[in-house]
Amino acid sequence: MKMKTIMKTVIGVVLIGGAMTFFVFQAMRSSWSYYYSVDEFSANRSAVKNHSLRIAGRVKRGSIVRDLEKVSLNFTLAGSQTELPVQYKGPVPDNFAEDREVVVEGRLDTTGVFRADMLMTKCESKYKAKVD
Amino acid sequence: MAELGHFALLLALFLSGYAVFADLLGAWRKDTGSVRSGRNATIASLVCLTVSMITLWLLLVGSDFSVSYVADHTSKALPIVYRISALWAGAGGSLLLWLWLQVGFVVLLFCRLDKTKRLFAAVARAAANVVSVFFLLVLVLDKNPFALSVVVPADGSGLNPLLQHPAMALHPPTLFIGYAAFAIPFAWSIASLARHNTQDEFELFKLARNWILLAWLFLTIGIVLGSWWAYEELGWGGYWSWDPVENSSLLPWLTATALLHCSRAYKPRTSISLWLIILCLVTFSLCIFGTFLTRYGLVTSVHAFPEPGLGILFLVLLVIIWILAVLLFWRAHRSSGLILTGSVRPGGRLITINNCLLLLLTLVIFVGSLFPFFSGFFTRQKISLKPDYFTKITAPGGLVLLLLLCVCPYIFRYGIRKSWHTIGAVLVAAAALLSWLLTNKLSIPFFIICGFAGLNLAGDFVNRYIKSRNRSNKAVPQLNLRWYGARIVHIGVVLVFIGMAGSGGYGIEEQVALKRNEKIKVAGFDITFKELKADHGSTFTAVTADLLVHKGDELIAELHPSQAYYSRSDKRTSEVDIKRTLAYDLYVALTQVDSSRDLINLNVLFKPLVNWIWIGSMVSVLGAALVLISFYRRRTASLQIEDKDTE
Repeated sequence: MKMKTIMKTVIGVVLIGGAMTFFVFQAMRSSWSYYYSVDEFSANRSAVKNHSLRIAGRVKRGSIVRDLEKVSLNFTLAGSQTELPVQYKGPVPDNFAEDREVVVEGRLDTTGVFRADMLMTKCESKYKAKVD
Repeated sequence: MAELGHFALLLALFLSGYAVFADLLGAWRKDTGSVRSGRNATIASLVCLTVSMITLWLLLVGSDFSVSYVADHTSKALPIVYRISALWAGAGGSLLLWLWLQVGFVVLLFCRLDKTKRLFAAVARAAANVVSVFFLLVLVLDKNPFALSVVVPADGSGLNPLLQHPAMALHPPTLFIGYAAFAIPFAWSIASLARHNTQDEFELFKLARNWILLAWLFLTIGIVLGSWWAYEELGWGGYWSWDPVENSSLLPWLTATALLHCSRAYKPRTSISLWLIILCLVTFSLCIFGTFLTRYGLVTSVHAFPEPGLGILFLVLLVIIWILAVLLFWRAHRSSGLILTGSVRPGGRLITINNCLLLLLTLVIFVGSLFPFFSGFFTRQKISLKPDYFTKITAPGGLVLLLLLCVCPYIFRYGIRKSWHTIGAVLVAAAALLSWLLTNKLSIPFFIICGFAGLNLAGDFVNRYIKSRNRSNKAVPQLNLRWYGARIVHIGVVLVFIGMAGSGGYGIEEQVALKRNEKIKVAGFDITFKELKADHGSTFTAVTADLLVHKGDELIAELHPSQAYYSRSDKRTSEVDIKRTLAYDLYVALTQVDSSRDLINLNVLFKPLVNWIWIGSMVSVLGAALVLISFYRRRTASLQIEDKDTE
């Protein structure tokens, strides 16, 4: 291949690659969350409490309170040793129920309640439920 | 009967394994007997797989719960349509379906070639059969669809009501047709690497190319069906959540798009042909990796069904394929140089840029999907990337691809001239960049570039019409379907981007609480909650909210979102109601109900232009179908010419 062709190709690749890297870094700076289980989070609480977090746990029995006036869903997310109160505003997946494994994403507020803006329920042991 | 199905799988495994040896031996020693044996063994394994599939279907339709697959995915009350589609409801059945399609396609193409291509076909078959062997090992040793239930239940577990939807019934098989069809270009590329010093690869490429387009078409349909279902059924008003499992179907789609563009510029022994071979391998590998990711729980996903089992075999298969490919590359390069110098068409470089961009996007999405796994591996901390991350990268990437869509066809044909196309493109790109910097909204640049693309495409059609009017030869030419088809695909793509830019950039979402006869304003619409209606059935209780939607004084729609609770399975489902127009969707989901206080919670979404996504997808699929028909026509025409020659 001629030198000119190689130069052009290299310039092109560098431009595209550079632009892409820029975008990736921009995106990564603001769009990631730590992923923890409830117990892991409790252990690391002070270090990460101001960051966007994804926390996985189980919905504690008897803790679901649906506040229709405030359009929010409150429940306690339980790990094996610790618990976390959660307040969620948004569409609720159909298979959300007690004792289900769920993942919430959001931030901890100053009062120690986890304000979630995303709620995911894991499907049961078989290929059955697909929800957000 | 389950034993018959199981035995058929075992037999297929043996036959595929045998075929690998027979074909490779035959190709190496140029022994036609061996090759013929390999061919027959492949056909025989297809027969076995067919028997296996039919058996499974009979068991499913007949509700034979002694087989655990049937018990897990059907129930007595399940409508027959969903008992049939239950074939692909679980890992075992899905793998069987995919494999059956794949071997079927291989037989269609590589077992019916004429004698001169025999050796090429042998190597291609061998590659495909190696894949079959691995699939069958997983099927027989781990995800056996014919395994018996430990305890025969009185009734099966049934299918989740959410999945009882036509789009969900069709989504897996269309995806599998796509994945299976990619095995053809895969087999072709292995064979062309192994036999690179013959002419076969070029001639057979024309056939392989048709399969790439077919695969792309079905993969597109499958992805769109999945998104459509998510939008209709899940109640959050979105159609794509950048979930790792969703991404794993998008990744081969991206590389396949690159592949399609490469095949347009294909010339053997050039750098494009190298791209082509690599892309064929990568696309197929991504299909397999996608299955590995979906079924074997590498990362958390709402879709992941972690039952690891022998999933690792898929990774082993991928490793083997790539080691083989690298060895073959090396051998081909050493012996006779894989690439001749020069000989790249002027547009070739732009196609390379196109490919690079698509591949980079693929890589970014791939890494992003697996990020929790990687980060957990390298640091002790698992980091999860939000959907935001993906959108922030793919949106600008999509913008650049759109721009390329505008200019490349011209540069391809005419080179970089100082035509108004090129100047226009530069101006439009500048305008787009400026508008983005000024408004900080990506949608506006999208609309600008989509507009430019639309103008270009319209200009194409007008040009063609003018040329046909000026034609001195008054004979009516046959409709050039390929030309139209390709343009129509691009029109579809532009429409889809318009839909995404509109709904993504200007969408509004609100959660509202309403008491009876209360009204609320969302996105310029007045929504009044009129009343709650209850409906009781033997197995369910359903509650429907009657809503009135006004814009100013005019009644726009009556919407009836509902929620149902099934007592027997303790499941709740909800049905959204949507006011659809070409300009927008008004999407309402009933999220919470308190009938004693007549208080409801709604999730209301205003999604401008969203229907253009579905319309655009259908247009693209139509365009691809037209191109496929044109290929088919050309092939039959050339076969007819060949027949005439030999008469």
